[in-house]
Amino acid sequence: MPGSGKSDDRRLGFKASQEVVVVAISVVMFLVFSATLNNFLSQGNIIAILKNVSILGTLAVGMGFVVVGRGIDLTMVAVMVVGVAFSIWISTWGIDFTLAVICGAILVAAIGLFTGVMVAVAEVPPIFATLAIASSVYGSGRIVFASDVLYAPPDIAWLKFVGNGSVLGIPMSVVIFGAVAALMGLFLRKTRFGRLVYATGDNPNAARTTGLPTRPIIVTQYVISALIAFTAGIIMTGLVTGIDTRLYNSSLIYDVLLVVVLGGIGLSGGQGGVRNVIAGTILVGILTNGMTILNFSYTSQNLIKSVILLGALAIDAIINPRDEQTSQSGDI
Amino acid sequence: MKIFKKCLLAGMAALALLGVAQVASAQETDQVGRAAYLDGVKGKKVIFVPISQGMDLNQAWVMVWQRHAARYGFTLEVRDPNGDTNAGIRAMQGAIAEKPDLIIVQNPDVQTYARLLKQAQAAGIKVLQVNMQSATQTDSYVGNDWIEMGRLEMGELAKHCTGPNAVSHKVVWLAGVQTGAANIYMRTGIDKVLKANPELQLVSDQPADYISEKARQITETVLQQHPDLCGIMGIWDNAEVGAGAAVAAAGKQDQVTIVTNGAGAATGCESIKNGLLDVIFNFNAPVQGEIAAQQISELLQHPDRKAGSEKTIFFGPITRVDKTNATGRNCWKPEDIK
Repeated sequence: MPGSGKSDDRRLGFKASQEVVVVAISVVMFLVFSATLNNFLSQGNIIAILKNVSILGTLAVGMGFVVVGRGIDLTMVAVMVVGVAFSIWISTWGIDFTLAVICGAILVAAIGLFTGVMVAVAEVPPIFATLAIASSVYGSGRIVFASDVLYAPPDIAWLKFVGNGSVLGIPMSVVIFGAVAALMGLFLRKTRFGRLVYATGDNPNAARTTGLPTRPIIVTQYVISALIAFTAGIIMTGLVTGIDTRLYNSSLIYDVLLVVVLGGIGLSGGQGGVRNVIAGTILVGILTNGMTILNFSYTSQNLIKSVILLGALAIDAIINPRDEQTSQSGDI
Repeated sequence: MKIFKKCLLAGMAALALLGVAQVASAQETDQVGRAAYLDGVKGKKVIFVPISQGMDLNQAWVMVWQRHAARYGFTLEVRDPNGDTNAGIRAMQGAIAEKPDLIIVQNPDVQTYARLLKQAQAAGIKVLQVNMQSATQTDSYVGNDWIEMGRLEMGELAKHCTGPNAVSHKVVWLAGVQTGAANIYMRTGIDKVLKANPELQLVSDQPADYISEKARQITETVLQQHPDLCGIMGIWDNAEVGAGAAVAAAGKQDQVTIVTNGAGAATGCESIKNGLLDVIFNFNAPVQGEIAAQQISELLQHPDRKAGSEKTIFFGPITRVDKTNATGRNCWKPEDIK
C-alpha cells in the first residue's frame, strides 16, 4: 500500500522527485520575481499571494482527497457557488444567515452523498458522473436564483471576520485554508479511515476483495469534498461580500486540478497527500501573482496555466505508468 | 310672432346639432395611426439571444419588453446561452432558421456573431443589437456609447488623480472580457483621456472577466506594487465590488477612488453606500429597455422595409451616481419594473 511504508521504493523516489521539482520551480520563480519585480518580496505581497490562493488551495485539498481515492470531483465549483447562493437566497426570506449557512451545508452534503452513490453504487465513472452532476447542480441553481451574483446580508459579524479578520497577522482566509489542510493531512495519515482511502485508491478491486468497505469510503469522500467546496465558498463570500455563480463557467475547476496534479497526486490514485496540494498551490500562487504584476492578460495567464497542466499530466503519465495492474483495476 | 318663429327654429336647429354631436361622440374616435400600429406589431415573433439572463441589465430589459409584447400582442422568446459562446452560436443559428420578424442580440464580443448577423439579415430578418455591438452593423443598435463611457470613467479618475492634492497619478483599468465591444470602445475613450493628461500613469490593465473575486485578487496584488495607488476604473459594478473589498481590506478607502459603470440596480447603490464603490456611471437598464422597446415597434411596423436597408443607433442616457444621489430611480429593484 503506497504511502504506508517502504513497499515501493522506486515509485516513492519518483513521487518525492516530482514534489521536489515543483518546490524547486517555486523557489526559482520566487527568487527571479524577488530580484526583478518591485515589492514582490514584501510581507504584504507574500500575504497577498497566500490570500489569493486560499480559495484555490482549499478546493484543491478537497479535490486531492478524492483523487487519492482514485476519483475526481468536477462538481466542486458548482457545489461551492450553488451551496452558498442557496444560503444567501433563503436568508432573504428572513431566516437567520447563520442558520441559512447550516441549511446550505446540509444541501451540499446531500449533493455529495448523491454523487458518491452514483460513483460507488451505480458505478458511473467519476469523471462522467461529476461532470453531469456539476451541470445539473449549476443548472438547478440558475433556475432558482434570478441573478448570477448574490450579495450576503450586511453586518454579519462572523462573515466580516472571515473576509477581513486576521489571527496573529495572518488573514482568516489563509487560516481557514491552513486548518482545512492540517485536518485533512491528519485525517489521511493518522486515522484508519484515511489509510482505507489510500487502499481503495491504490486498487479498489483488491480493497473490496480483502473486505474493505470501499463503497461507504467513496461516498464519504464525495460528501467531505462537497463540504470543503462549501467552506471555500464561504471564504469567498467573506472576501468579496457575495457569490458570483458564473464562476462555474470559469477555469477555476481546471486550476484546482492543476494544483492537485502539479503537486504530484497521481490521477491513478492511492498516493500523495496534502503536502503535494500545498506545493502545487504555492507554485500556482507565485505564478499568478508574478503574471498579474507583469500585466499578462487573463487569456495568456490561462494559456500558460493550461500548458503547465498538460506538462504535469505528461509527467504524471511518465512517473506513474499504466502497467498491467493499474489497467486491470481500472482508471478514473 | 316672427320673433317667436325664429326662436323656435333656432332652438330646433340647436337641438339637431346637439343630436348630431351626440351621434358623433357615440362613434369610436381612433387615435391617428393606432390601428396601423397595432396591425403592424400584432402576432409578430421576436427572439432575444442574450449573453446571460443572470445579469441585472438583462432581467430589466426582458421585463420591459415582455410587458410591451403582452400589451401589443407580439411574442418575445428568450434563448439564454447562459454565458456560453458556443451555446450562443447555436441559439443564433436556431433563431435564424425559425425566421422570426426580429432578432434582438447582445453580442459577447465583436466577432463571434458577425457572420451570423449578416446571414440573418440576408434571410430577411431584422436585427436589433443591445448594449454590446458586433463588427457587423445591423438595422439598429440601442445601448451605451462606450467610447463616451471610457472617457467619463477615466475623466473621473483624471479629476481625482491629477490635482495638487492627489496621492499619486497612478490608475488601474480593470477590464471585463477583452474582446467585448464594451472593452474595445471604452479603451478608445480611456486613451483619449490619458493622452490629454500625460501625467496619469496606467499601472495595470488586467481583465477581471466580470468576476469579483478576480477583481479582488488583481487589486490586492496591484496595491502591493503601488501602495500609493490613486484610482481604479472598471466595467461592471457587480465585479468591481471585489476591487472595493481589496481596497477596504488594505484600509485605503479614503485614498483610492473606484469608478465603474452599471445597469443601475439597487445592489450598485448599496455598494456605494457601504463604501465599496465611489462612482457608478449608471446606464439605467429599464430606461435602455424602453428605448429598445420603441425600436422593436419601429422595426416591426415596417415589414416591407428590407432588413439592413436602414441602420440606426441610439445611445441611452448615462447618469453619474455617487453617495449624494444613490437613491430613487438611480437604484431600481426588479419588483419596481414589474
